[in-house]
Amino acid sequence: MNRYQLNITADDKQVVLERILQVARYRGFLINGIHAQVNTKNSVGIIELLVSSERPIELLVDQINKLIDIKSVKVDNTVMQLESA
Amino acid sequence: MANETELTGASLLFEVLKQHGVEHIFGYPGGAIMPIYDALYDSEVDHFLCRHEQGAAFSAIGYARASEKVGVCFATSGPGATNLLTGLADALADSIPLVAITGQVATAAMGSDAFQEIDVFGLSLACTKHSFQVTDVHDLEKVLHRAFAIALEGRQGPVLVDIPKDIQLAKVTEERGDYSTLRNKVKLPPANVGSALALLTQAKKPVLYVGGGVGMARAIDELRSFAKRTGIPSVSTLKGLGAIDPNDPNYLGMLGMHGTKAANLAVQECDLLIAVGARFDDRVTGKLNEFAPHAKVIHFDIDTAEIDKRRKANVAILGDLKVNLPALEIPLTIDDWQAKCQQMQAYFGWQYDHPGENIFAPAVLKEVSDRMPRNTCVTTDVGQHQMWAAQHMKFEDPTNFLTSGGMGTMGFGLPAAIGAQVSRPYDCVIAVSGDGSIMMNVQELATIKRFQLPVKIVLIDNSKLGMVRQWQDLFFNGRLSETDLSDNPDFVMLAQAFDIKAKQITKKHEVTGAIEEMLDHNGPYLLQVKIDAKENVWPLVPPETANDKMMENT
Ligand SMILES: Cc1ncc(C[n+]2csc(CCOP(=O)(O)OP(=O)(O)O)c2C)c(N)n1
Repeated sequence: MNRYQLNITADDKQVVLERILQVARYRGFLINGIHAQVNTKNSVGIIELLVSSERPIELLVDQINKLIDIKSVKVDNTVMQLESA
Repeated sequence: MANETELTGASLLFEVLKQHGVEHIFGYPGGAIMPIYDALYDSEVDHFLCRHEQGAAFSAIGYARASEKVGVCFATSGPGATNLLTGLADALADSIPLVAITGQVATAAMGSDAFQEIDVFGLSLACTKHSFQVTDVHDLEKVLHRAFAIALEGRQGPVLVDIPKDIQLAKVTEERGDYSTLRNKVKLPPANVGSALALLTQAKKPVLYVGGGVGMARAIDELRSFAKRTGIPSVSTLKGLGAIDPNDPNYLGMLGMHGTKAANLAVQECDLLIAVGARFDDRVTGKLNEFAPHAKVIHFDIDTAEIDKRRKANVAILGDLKVNLPALEIPLTIDDWQAKCQQMQAYFGWQYDHPGENIFAPAVLKEVSDRMPRNTCVTTDVGQHQMWAAQHMKFEDPTNFLTSGGMGTMGFGLPAAIGAQVSRPYDCVIAVSGDGSIMMNVQELATIKRFQLPVKIVLIDNSKLGMVRQWQDLFFNGRLSETDLSDNPDFVMLAQAFDIKAKQITKKHEVTGAIEEMLDHNGPYLLQVKIDAKENVWPLVPPETANDKMMENT
């Protein structure tokens, strides 16, 4: 299993967090951790999502990017690690 | 300058619908959407009362697909909303622009397990492109405009707007801001046309793999021009049917599980596969790692997430097909390959001779197709009859063949035909259904009756859930578990109960006369075509098998 950290920025809109979690689960990524907060000044949410999967991370990045309220999705390569199977 | 008028949330909804050119709505009322139905009473839009919210959703889909407009449907909270969901899932899978409006219990009651309260907003996450719940009436106008924009932009899809009852009743002033909607609008990097051109000119055996995205992008002319100028042999997905001219000599028909032998063999042999608005669905590819094993891939799509999802593309051309297809239009010298494909097509063509007096469904559908007026819109349900329609009927445009592709939802055909007929009152609309599927939304015969819609229904009746029975015979040792429908109702009497003219035929010699009678009839008509329960759809690529290893009728 590969582990990845995604750094996501999103408009602070209804259920945006639920949408991200739903997409991650449906596309086959296990959620290992999440940290989320909103900058109330500019209404931008910042979400750090730790996931693991056998599937390529691009799959999840593309699908999260498709969500309407998402501003950006980046893979934090410093956090990526390979777990021994 | 803002033009301000005081309205309620409910009447504002109709103002916005008017601005988006909405003339027809499919729906079903109930407690939590009553203020909207009250405002409808004063509105100019035509509302079609369906007899189940699933019927309303499918009619909105049929309407959208036949007319290339946004389909709109209404339902109340709780069970009304849950009844819509199958339609939303269907629209998501087939990328159909829909705006679904649901009533919700009043904001103060939300979250209290109130009567007919369900978290439809939560339920919508997996079956819509996007969804909104309006909790402040001042957001309503903007949200509704956004809903239309999102339904149409980029890859189209269904959007749900959940409106609590108090928001429908609240007073609000209309702002009439400037909201523009751009079809196919997306922010994408410029297409890598140079590398694609290099692949094209090197290819000796290219195949054009045409999907539903071509119709959605309204790029039929661009695609046909590309196919003509390059001369590349083409194949189509179920949803792509009608995009390529069915009489184009280089067109090989549908590919995939029930595709033509020529189409599947050509794809398996090709050295370059040009996927246009198609997504390498498992019903198309068969065993994925043996699909088009020698081919490089150029993938045209508007949805970044489809690139490399199931098959790696050597070159991805993202964006609007109308712009991108012409950029690759160059003449190619592939005469030998063209000749080979045309030979395969002639050699493996359909056979319509069939022994005995019993009716052969493929021949019936071919005859309906040959006799139906130009620009007829055909809808189908799901099963064997659907595959026979796809194989044996010809369509001039994707808006003339409406079938539930991605979701494969039984119950689609009849309400979709209703929506299509509403959107195109002067065109002939034919629903091809099965005796299993028609019962899934049979209540919509009442909608046909009420609005006197001249929909024709060709009911292919094998007294079975035929497609499942076929798989049980082929892959489950003939153990026919729960697929017998020999106690079906009398379909002719059933149709007549809704004032629909109907006829049953059982023998070959009755076919031509019955088709003529149906097409000549001025109103709705149900033609029940009894066929042998043991007929199978051929060819068939078994699941997880390469597409050249198809089973055939022997
Ligand atoms: C809503 C729904 N339930 C179940 C299925 C599974 N299914 C696919 S085809 C089929 C049989 C369809 O029977 P019928 O409508 O009589 O068509 P036939 O195959 O006999 O032509 C079934 C049950 C489905 N596609 N959709």
